[in-house]
Amino acid sequence: MQMKTLRPAINIGLMGGGVALLFGGWSIAVMSAVVGAMVGRAYGQRSANRTPDAIARETLTPGLVAGVITVLGGVLYHFVIRPLTGQSVNYLLFFKFFRASIPINGIAVFIISAIVGIALAAGTAQYMGRLQGQPERQRRRGLLVFLIVSLLVFPIFEQITNMQWMAAVITVLIYILLALGLNVVVGYAGLLDLGYAAFFAIGAYTTALLNSPQIDIQWNFWLVIWVAAAVAAMAGLVLGAPTLPLRGDYLAIVTLGFGEIVPVVFKNLTAVTLREPFSRICFIGCDPLIESVKACIYACTGQLDLTAGDRGVNPVGRPLIPFIDNPNDPQSLIFGANYLPWYFLVLALVVLSIFIIRRLRDSRIGRAWMAIREDELAASQMGIDPVKTKLLAFSIGATFSGFAGAFYGSYIAAIFPTVFDFSVSVIILCMVILGGLGNMTGVIIGAILIMGTDRLFLPQIADLLKRFMNATVLPNVANPALKDFLSTSIDPIQWRLGIFGLVLVIMMLVRPEGLVPSAERKAELHAGDELAAAD
Amino acid sequence: MRLGQKILIAAVSIYLVLFFGPLAGFDLFRIIGEIARNPSTLLQQLLIGLANGSLVAIIALGYTLVYGIIELVNFAHGDLYMLGVFMALTVIGATGATEESSTVEKVVAILLAFVSSVLFCGALNAAIERFAYRRLRNAPRLAPLISAIGMSFLLQNIGLVWGGLRAFFPIMGVNAASPKSFPDLLGRIDLFSDVLGINAPVNFNTKSLLVIVVAGALMIGLRLFVQYTKLGKAMRATAENRDAAKIMGIDIDRVISFTFLLGGALAGAAGLLVGLYNNTAVFTMGFTAGLRAFTSAVLGGIGNITGAMLGGFLIGILAAFSDQYFSSRWTNAWVFAILVLVMVFRPTGLLGENVSQKA
Repeated sequence: MQMKTLRPAINIGLMGGGVALLFGGWSIAVMSAVVGAMVGRAYGQRSANRTPDAIARETLTPGLVAGVITVLGGVLYHFVIRPLTGQSVNYLLFFKFFRASIPINGIAVFIISAIVGIALAAGTAQYMGRLQGQPERQRRRGLLVFLIVSLLVFPIFEQITNMQWMAAVITVLIYILLALGLNVVVGYAGLLDLGYAAFFAIGAYTTALLNSPQIDIQWNFWLVIWVAAAVAAMAGLVLGAPTLPLRGDYLAIVTLGFGEIVPVVFKNLTAVTLREPFSRICFIGCDPLIESVKACIYACTGQLDLTAGDRGVNPVGRPLIPFIDNPNDPQSLIFGANYLPWYFLVLALVVLSIFIIRRLRDSRIGRAWMAIREDELAASQMGIDPVKTKLLAFSIGATFSGFAGAFYGSYIAAIFPTVFDFSVSVIILCMVILGGLGNMTGVIIGAILIMGTDRLFLPQIADLLKRFMNATVLPNVANPALKDFLSTSIDPIQWRLGIFGLVLVIMMLVRPEGLVPSAERKAELHAGDELAAAD
Repeated sequence: MRLGQKILIAAVSIYLVLFFGPLAGFDLFRIIGEIARNPSTLLQQLLIGLANGSLVAIIALGYTLVYGIIELVNFAHGDLYMLGVFMALTVIGATGATEESSTVEKVVAILLAFVSSVLFCGALNAAIERFAYRRLRNAPRLAPLISAIGMSFLLQNIGLVWGGLRAFFPIMGVNAASPKSFPDLLGRIDLFSDVLGINAPVNFNTKSLLVIVVAGALMIGLRLFVQYTKLGKAMRATAENRDAAKIMGIDIDRVISFTFLLGGALAGAAGLLVGLYNNTAVFTMGFTAGLRAFTSAVLGGIGNITGAMLGGFLIGILAAFSDQYFSSRWTNAWVFAILVLVMVFRPTGLLGENVSQKA
């Protein structure tokens, strides 16, 4: 095989190698499986052969190449990065198994991981390649099987090998949920919403208030999550209604205004009193010493602290699912801090949302959204009610962030107003735009890339860089000012918002349709090919 | 709608505002009581509002200039102004001027800071236009807006990192993200008691006067520039119809670049003034200030220079009133509420002409 045909495999391999370069250890095996699958799919799709076995033979070599490059990244991590960052080459990792920690040598982990990784890369490449030769229905089923197996196996593998990725993975899944919801509003209906975090906040605060000691209501999580989604959907209607006559940037600015107002409201509702303005009859948060409290409904002995301001609502109740860590029962902790139930819960939410959104997208409503997006005037002439369609988009989009907010609230167990500021709305927008407006696969990839960068790669790069500075650079720097600069200002985490901003700018300049453009946009760009293929 | 219906709707909305307003600090009866008890506070807040408003107005001019010419909400403008504050702070730190320095030193430091921050912000804004907006001029309208949001985040991040460069600029203090103290070079001489010798119930110091005068001068200067110079005419022509202007031999790229340069220079000037006036600088200050300024521009009628100034004063006064009589915690919410209300009910603003919305 020639170098030229191997180039895509090398590129994909470099991606996996990059991750292995940062984390080493078990990440080599995980990333090998991922790059193998990507290579298999990429080569299978462009293969001239059409029988599954022939394609599988053809994808084996590129899969191996990508796997080897990933392993090389791991080699660099273990034998170059570790010494440079002042960490010993010979170190211990721990297996975690039912609260037992089993030590295992880092080099041994590397060797096992490399062998397993190359095998996995070859295997997944062949599997995905073989799928490409099969009929549509079988291909889909095979892909689904692959996804289900990896989504089930990965968390268990992660927990046992103690990779410490789970917190980041759960956050990524929450943001996938948010990005999918925003995609309905921005991608399908074409309404640029810059205040999407407001609905996230509304979902989270609804959960927090209905399931915490704050105002002494403790409903079951499984009820609250639906209430939160419903409240977010209603908020979508209420905040969407005034924006209906607006278009384009005016719409964006008004949603931004709402997005700014909502967290301020949650932050400041710490001393609520509600009175009839003229008679001063008090309903909520009354002071019995100075006024008539005959009509008082709630908090009749003083002002009502609804949201606890900057201190946040804390603690938010947890759902009753098997194996979830219950602080009162140490026996419930199977793997120490137990992420698995949370992972499967949020995964279930994501899968449910994908199912619902796919169905909606292909339904009458979905087509109405896209018609409105393309040309509102023409759509309304064809009998689509723009008011109803847009409001539905706002409210359905908000529903999913209501789910996300409800999950987030009980997962973090504390809600603060600062979590929902403008940067969150922009980060979610960044995911949707990076992945590809209106394409669910793209949006999911965008969320994984952005949130993975934010929660996994940047902290790791920062950590390695800091160690590198301390171990290799700083001892050789004499100038105290330069030393101070190097030790404080070289911090990639400091640049996180700047990186996302730059991603937005560059995407707009270079590839406005996103990494994985939606079928419609592709069709717009390649109208000629479509016609030729239709014969 | 019949008149009766309108009156009914108005009455119901007023009642609802009276009912729920106290939740957000707007308790009309309490406010009337406070004003009746101490009317001079009202005048004091008016003066504070004028001074703050003139600062908001200078930033708003930048929004309005850019929107007027390419119909882009230049999100990055607020953060550009923040960098202006940082530039001024850096230069003043480099000159070593403090409150105790002699008048000559102070004047030199302020002039140096003015020149550098105006040049820096102007050049940076023009560079941003060249890099992030020019290629998107004919793209769908949301593309440059998203690009501008991205730029805004990038600039804010630059501010954060700049604030952490204590190794080179000791004036930045220990912590990158925490507010930096801006030397109080102007001092505080009260006009009524110290200069005129009147025992007035309100304070109005030279600082506020300076800010108002500079803002007014900038607006009048800008107005005259746009009205009477050749470049100003070219700007108006480009704003009116870009293609027609091009056919008439106007180099629209140059004109748009110049508009950004002008807007950026104003942001730099505002940066220095705000630093000297509020004596504090933090990397997040651009976002809120930018939104307030944008609200002013919209309130006055976006694209209209006088409107931006008027909107700035109104928003400044509203914010001062809200700080005093509602609750400073709710001020931002009220300003954004104004933004939403104006956008929804009167998108042309107070003085704006009828601009058609394009998707």
